[in-house]
Amino acid sequence: MKRIAALILVAAVSLTACRGGDTTTDAGGIKTDIGVTKEPCKDAIDKAKGCIYLGIISDLTEGPFKALAVPITDAQKAFWKRVNTAGGIGGYEVDVTTYIRDNKYNPQVHKEVYDQIKGNILALAQTLGSPTTAAILADMKASNIVAAPAAWTSAYAFEDVIIESGANYCIESMNAMDYAADKYKPKSVLSIHYAGDYGDDAAAGAKIAAEKLGMTFSHLKTDSGADKQAGAIAEIIAKKPDLVLVTTGPTELATIVGQAAARGFTGRFIGTSPTWNPALNASAAAPALAALYEQSAPWNNWATNTPGHEAMRKALPGVTPSDGYTSGWVWSYPLKAALAKAAANKDLTRAGLLAAVKSLESVDYEGMLPATAGNYKAGAAGQLKMTAFYKPDKTAPTGGVMVQDLKVGKTAEAYKLEGPCFAKL
Amino acid sequence: MVDLLEAVIRGLGRGSIYALLALGFVIIFKATRVISFAQPAFMLAGAVLVTFLVGPLGFWGALIAATLLTALLALGVERSAVRPMVGRPAFVVAIITLGVDIAVRVVVNAFLGINVRQVDDPWGLKTVELAGLRVEQRHIAVLLTTTVLVAGLFAYFRFTRMGLAMRAASYDQEAALAQGVSVGSVFAVSWAMAGGLAAVAGTFVAAGENVDGLMWRIALVALPVIILGGLDSLPGAVVGGLLVGVLQELAANYQAEYAPVWLGENVSIITPYVVMLLVLLVKPYGLFGTREVERV
Repeated sequence: MKRIAALILVAAVSLTACRGGDTTTDAGGIKTDIGVTKEPCKDAIDKAKGCIYLGIISDLTEGPFKALAVPITDAQKAFWKRVNTAGGIGGYEVDVTTYIRDNKYNPQVHKEVYDQIKGNILALAQTLGSPTTAAILADMKASNIVAAPAAWTSAYAFEDVIIESGANYCIESMNAMDYAADKYKPKSVLSIHYAGDYGDDAAAGAKIAAEKLGMTFSHLKTDSGADKQAGAIAEIIAKKPDLVLVTTGPTELATIVGQAAARGFTGRFIGTSPTWNPALNASAAAPALAALYEQSAPWNNWATNTPGHEAMRKALPGVTPSDGYTSGWVWSYPLKAALAKAAANKDLTRAGLLAAVKSLESVDYEGMLPATAGNYKAGAAGQLKMTAFYKPDKTAPTGGVMVQDLKVGKTAEAYKLEGPCFAKL
Repeated sequence: MVDLLEAVIRGLGRGSIYALLALGFVIIFKATRVISFAQPAFMLAGAVLVTFLVGPLGFWGALIAATLLTALLALGVERSAVRPMVGRPAFVVAIITLGVDIAVRVVVNAFLGINVRQVDDPWGLKTVELAGLRVEQRHIAVLLTTTVLVAGLFAYFRFTRMGLAMRAASYDQEAALAQGVSVGSVFAVSWAMAGGLAAVAGTFVAAGENVDGLMWRIALVALPVIILGGLDSLPGAVVGGLLVGVLQELAANYQAEYAPVWLGENVSIITPYVVMLLVLLVKPYGLFGTREVERV
């Protein structure tokens, strides 16, 4: 008897832990299930509206990308507040603050916190990191949980539940190679990168481009931590490549560029987008970075003049400019479009949202990305392939000035994405 | 040859930092028979303090102030968290220091914020030519600083009353107590010294680089250093630190040429642990550790 009572209790707790769960239809005729409630959000602007709960799993305290992750998260809070202020979506407001969790950039922690919140959310407004997101991807697919990633691995082109924005790391590296080929005519390239979907993807793009461009290619996997870069620096000094592509975190970048330059290396460096942090302009490596380093980016920076950038700056008054904000803001547009489409389809269930994602042919990024961006219906063929380039500049709001606007290189243009690039490394 | 010598000098620079960290571990171990896992947090705390103090005080002023403040922090930890555990098994106290490490790092991370910070050292990544060798100035600076500190420490243990008391307590606490040595004071001074040394080490880790939340992991390399040097040996900590630093740098420098591919690309990271294992196979108590004699 006690056992049965315990089982009933566990079942009751499990059921009440889920927001929604059963499919219901609201007064407006919209079907809902998990993560959508008739009750208003905690900080609702209009208490008459229901609430859509979105989760955020990010690197908020001690991981290598916290300098990006915190502003990404703040920008997403501001983005959805703007959506709510403008009337919400389909009679609902959106809550992205209740289920924010820290992944410490650790796949195991990422999975743990995902398990904690997945029963309460309709979708993820952010899942930061490629290796971390890989830890929950199978469950996301099984549970129909759509997510806006804070990462750009090429594998996302083949995942319906991931609603990505901008060129992936693989394409970004191809564009970096084309950019360098035009500007510096390198004959050899060394890719220094983290292991996993992030670093391997960028390195694979460089490898594919090097073959097309007739350059010699080599690569070296490195670990996170400034103290673990001695091998990478020694490799640069020994091989003396004309171009080094760096796909790490900011502290590793500063160590690699600074110490290689101190040991007499004069080749060029290009960093994949998450590798940069404007605070490096104040580091001991700043002179070396200013002389040798450029940054690739999937969209233009904070100071750009588009309606989307202006709306972002207006929604985030008084903050220290960071392209973490830009990224968080850009990544939110497709999820907003998908929610609006699902609401228009009268189906805000998880399955309904996923169906809406699969049917999106374009997303209005308010000018932050071209009108062709956001074609999820086309799958991998609909991937945006544009990359911009910046160089360090202490006086610029986010520590860099543009040296080349968003553009598709010849290699990326011709490349047909048939599977995740990192498998080809 | 130039390459080799430059790598050795870089290794001595890196090894000096390991030596300072290892000395902290050994000083606490000798006094209390406990390995303090709080050293990484003290190292990070010291470096972060320097980043805040360097503006008003300049680098050296900030370094001295941060060293003293971190020593005080360590003293506070000893008084509040460790002292009440005297008489409990060493394992229990070691676990408490692990908790202290996490707690202190959480607080320090909050001060650190989301961006990297700098200690604004005078050397940065500047190099100097010495006998045809290109040497980074920060490596010379840390080597000289470590030399001065180690000489000072050895003189302190050799010539001062408290130094003598600490040596006595490390041999036999009860006998020392019977001779009027305040073992409590010995514990306190040991923790304060270890905290101060960790702060200096942290500052030099960040010299030419950045302070970020992951910097504490460097202190973990001091663990194989103290095992291979000998857990209770101050000279062992210094020699072990320098040895590991040099071998790590040589491994990084020559791996591509000599190491088999299957070892991966970052052999230098595991070098300290490989060296430790090899040394322990030959000398189970480390290079300079005291062989334990037990009656059976």
